[in-house]
Amino acid sequence: MKTTARIMVPIILVLAISLLLQGHNLPGGGFIAGVLTTVAFALVYVAYGLDYLDAGVLGRDVEPGRGIFEHRSVTAFRRTFILGLAIAVASGLGALAFDEPFLSQTFVIVESIPIYHEIEVASALAFDLGVYCVVVGVLLTILSVVGAE
Amino acid sequence: MSVALAFVVGGLFGLGTFLLLRRDLVRVVWGVAVVSQAANVYLISMGGVAPGTHDSVPVLAGHGEPVPETTDPLVQALVLTAIVISFGTTAFALALTYRAYEENETMDVQEWQ
Amino acid sequence: MAPELALVATAVALPFVASGATPLVYRLVGARTGYFGAAVAIACFALAGSQLGRRGAVGVPWVPSMDVSLRFYVDGWAVLFALLASAIGALVFVYSASYMADEHTLARYYATLLAFMGSILGVAFAADLLAVFLFWELTSLCSFVLIGHHTDEADSRYAARMAMIVTVGGGLFLLVGIAFLSIAATEALGARSFDLAAMLANADAMESSLRELGLFVPTLAVVAVAAGAKSAQVPLHFWLPNAMAAPTPVSAFLHSATMVKVGVYFVGRLRPLLGGDEWMVLFATVGLATMTAGAALAVVATDIKELLAYSTASHLGLMVAGFGFQSVYGAEAGAFHLFNHALFKAALFLVAGIVAHEVGTRRLAGLSGLWRDLPVTAAVAGVTGLSMAGIPPFSGFYSKELLFEAAYEAAHAAGGLAWLYPAVAVFASVLTVLYSLRLLAIFVGERPGAVASVHRPSAALVAPPAVLGVATAVVSVAPQLAVDAVVEAAIGATAAESPDVHVGLPTHLTPPVAMSAVTIVAGAAAYPVLGRLQRAIGAVVGATPIARPNWWYDRLLSGTEAAGPRVARTVHNGLLRTYVVWVLAAASALALAGYAATTGLVPAVEGVRVTPGITLVLLVAVVAAVAVVSAPSHVVGVLALSILGFMVAIFYILASAPDLALTQLVVETLVLLIFLLVLEQLPAFYADTDRLVAARDAVLSVVVGATAFLTVMLASPDIGAEPTAIARFYATEAVPAGGGTNVVNVILVDFRGFDTLGELFVVSIAAMSVVVLIAMRNRGETR
Repeated sequence: MKTTARIMVPIILVLAISLLLQGHNLPGGGFIAGVLTTVAFALVYVAYGLDYLDAGVLGRDVEPGRGIFEHRSVTAFRRTFILGLAIAVASGLGALAFDEPFLSQTFVIVESIPIYHEIEVASALAFDLGVYCVVVGVLLTILSVVGAE
Repeated sequence: MSVALAFVVGGLFGLGTFLLLRRDLVRVVWGVAVVSQAANVYLISMGGVAPGTHDSVPVLAGHGEPVPETTDPLVQALVLTAIVISFGTTAFALALTYRAYEENETMDVQEWQ
Repeated sequence: MAPELALVATAVALPFVASGATPLVYRLVGARTGYFGAAVAIACFALAGSQLGRRGAVGVPWVPSMDVSLRFYVDGWAVLFALLASAIGALVFVYSASYMADEHTLARYYATLLAFMGSILGVAFAADLLAVFLFWELTSLCSFVLIGHHTDEADSRYAARMAMIVTVGGGLFLLVGIAFLSIAATEALGARSFDLAAMLANADAMESSLRELGLFVPTLAVVAVAAGAKSAQVPLHFWLPNAMAAPTPVSAFLHSATMVKVGVYFVGRLRPLLGGDEWMVLFATVGLATMTAGAALAVVATDIKELLAYSTASHLGLMVAGFGFQSVYGAEAGAFHLFNHALFKAALFLVAGIVAHEVGTRRLAGLSGLWRDLPVTAAVAGVTGLSMAGIPPFSGFYSKELLFEAAYEAAHAAGGLAWLYPAVAVFASVLTVLYSLRLLAIFVGERPGAVASVHRPSAALVAPPAVLGVATAVVSVAPQLAVDAVVEAAIGATAAESPDVHVGLPTHLTPPVAMSAVTIVAGAAAYPVLGRLQRAIGAVVGATPIARPNWWYDRLLSGTEAAGPRVARTVHNGLLRTYVVWVLAAASALALAGYAATTGLVPAVEGVRVTPGITLVLLVAVVAAVAVVSAPSHVVGVLALSILGFMVAIFYILASAPDLALTQLVVETLVLLIFLLVLEQLPAFYADTDRLVAARDAVLSVVVGATAFLTVMLASPDIGAEPTAIARFYATEAVPAGGGTNVVNVILVDFRGFDTLGELFVVSIAAMSVVVLIAMRNRGETR
């Protein structure tokens, strides 16, 4: 189990990030990437436990015996989804600055980049990032709170 | 529309309803889960289910290419959000189940008045 | 000349602003807040007066997409109504300052009274039907608070609730009428509109449009119910006598001069729009019936305020009947009597208040000879009471004369049964003379010994009715003055043709003059046998409790109150399965009924058209669902549920939805994980299954399943059908407008970003709820 997790988790995370970035043009996007990232964390969690997430992965000190609600990674998960909501709303508000309706999106194609030749930068990516953060934060919060019981 | 698809949606809704009416709270939560699966399949069927081809996936070949006739992308977008939301509600229902059991010390919904 | 937007808007807004400031003012000056209110009312009077003689609509847009705007419409009719409301308002405020000085909760009283006055001005000037409705309901709400001023008295609460239910209920009918008018405006004015001014300007087009749509009679009916509820017309008159539980100044203001006139005002407003034969039959009949019933009940009243309340209903009937008659005399009778009645009835209510305040009783039976102690009050009562009776040369005579004229004209033109109109009008007027004499009798004659001592009323208490008495006297002496100043313009706005009004004492004998003479002689002759008449009327009323609307109201209310808990016990019994059964059974029944009514219940079966792969996968899904239902333990059930989820994921792949398949697969894994985590903590459950219950549940399940089956069969598109316009739009616009080739993702983050944002909030709330339920459960828990 631990060996599997050791090998699989990085692969899943890379896959999740690539799904997030390519989501606009190929299958993928914030929802899928978020759920997939959660699965990676869940794998670590099932294999090693919540404290390992703090001590081993995130390199923090763990104070044993504290309630789940004070657990630092749980706080971090909650922060993640609040951050995600903030990003999503802010990306929507950004459109207002250009005199567009709330949540309008646009895109530019940047050309002559080495290797990629051209890259499309869509403002929707910011919104998708918000979606991603919310999904990760929410699912991990639920998982860790329920799991701690 | 295909009878098979209709039969499946009807069957899932019926079985889900039966689960919702059980006394065991966990089975009620299963009922919610089954009904949301049924609703998702139903939504997809409203977009029309055609035999899949290379073109029918609503991911286009590239910028500026002609647009092929895809399946309905809107129902897919609806279902995508529905999947994540139904996970949220299922998790919430489970948390409620657990707390209800703790408070009432029974899983029988008929017994809490 | 066009009206001045700023002045009209200020006149409407000022009372509301002042209402908000009232608690502050009350803290500063206490019971003298009444004078503050009077100042506001006088300012409104001046603002409304400045618009005298102007005509037209002004406004600013409010909801442009629905063509709703804050428009004001000014004409003679609106100005007359606004002037009356603000003038009598000012006097009532002055009167309240001394009459209510000992009361508590005066801040609430004055704030509501001001808001009430603002609402009346709003109804008067609103040019937008939705604004009319808004202000209309505001008057009902304010009157609820004012009638229920004595919150600790059961009578007061009962009367307030009754007034509220009847008038607000009537307001809902008005809303329906507004919807009808707006539908008709689509055709007549070229656009869906709530613009009353434009409707009045195109009255003919509106009427033919209404008739074409078949909405003319329904509109007339709902407007009649709305106006009848507000203006206490039979059979909705019963709330008005009950409303005398209100403090006397409130009665003077709401139930003589303003609120009850709102219905009459609106009837006059719509008269050019909806006038016709149906209009006359409806309003003249209802009006005369109210006039008679109100007068008869006033004759048997035992309390001064009760007498005045029934008399108000009777006079409102006179105005409605006046507007009902199609001749120009009808509009003259309605508008002029509205003016006269406001003056004399407000004065009489204030007189009643003085009597109650100084003598200590309002019972008619024991009182007489009050002129010795209350000379000014008695003089005011004399002038206004004779005016109410319609005795020449007092003001009420002129407007009643116009009603006789209108009734006679209508009967003369139609013949036959229409002769009942003048006959009933005369009969009701005889009763009016009778009860007016009864009221005046308390002031004349010798003082009985039973009444101990009568206080002298303060000047502030006597001044307002005295002002109204003087005004009534002026109108009595020189009626043409009032007509030229304000009333003629008002008549012009409510009548189709432009009037040329002349009023004055009759110089030669005409049928209406003869009718007036009959009225006065018969009234005076019947006065000596008053007791016998009262017993007769009392016997009629007492013998038929079922004919009394009040009885029906009480029955309806107590019936509803009793039915509520019974329904709640059945539907809302705290059992989960009851809710599930009700919701699902109702949804299925409605859906099936809808199909049966439209497309029929038998779908066209086209055979198996999906690929064998999809069919197979979905059948496995159903088998998995069966396994969930029949699972012997929780773990087995959860595993079966997972199989169901994975099968659905494969179905998504086969149905060309890669994004869904990916998400579903991963979410399924998480669901399995979280179920297993929770189940660890829960006990196994073995409920003995009752076969009967299971069979009953199976029936509902089959019904729900069959409904879903039919829905798919009937609603889903045929295979090979063209994609819908919406699907096509998203597919073609994804790259040019959204810059992405994954159409589903472009829809989520770009086209329908708002929905996605909402969904993010939903899942966030779910997460927070879980946190609160489990991690925070020990915080702030009170047992």
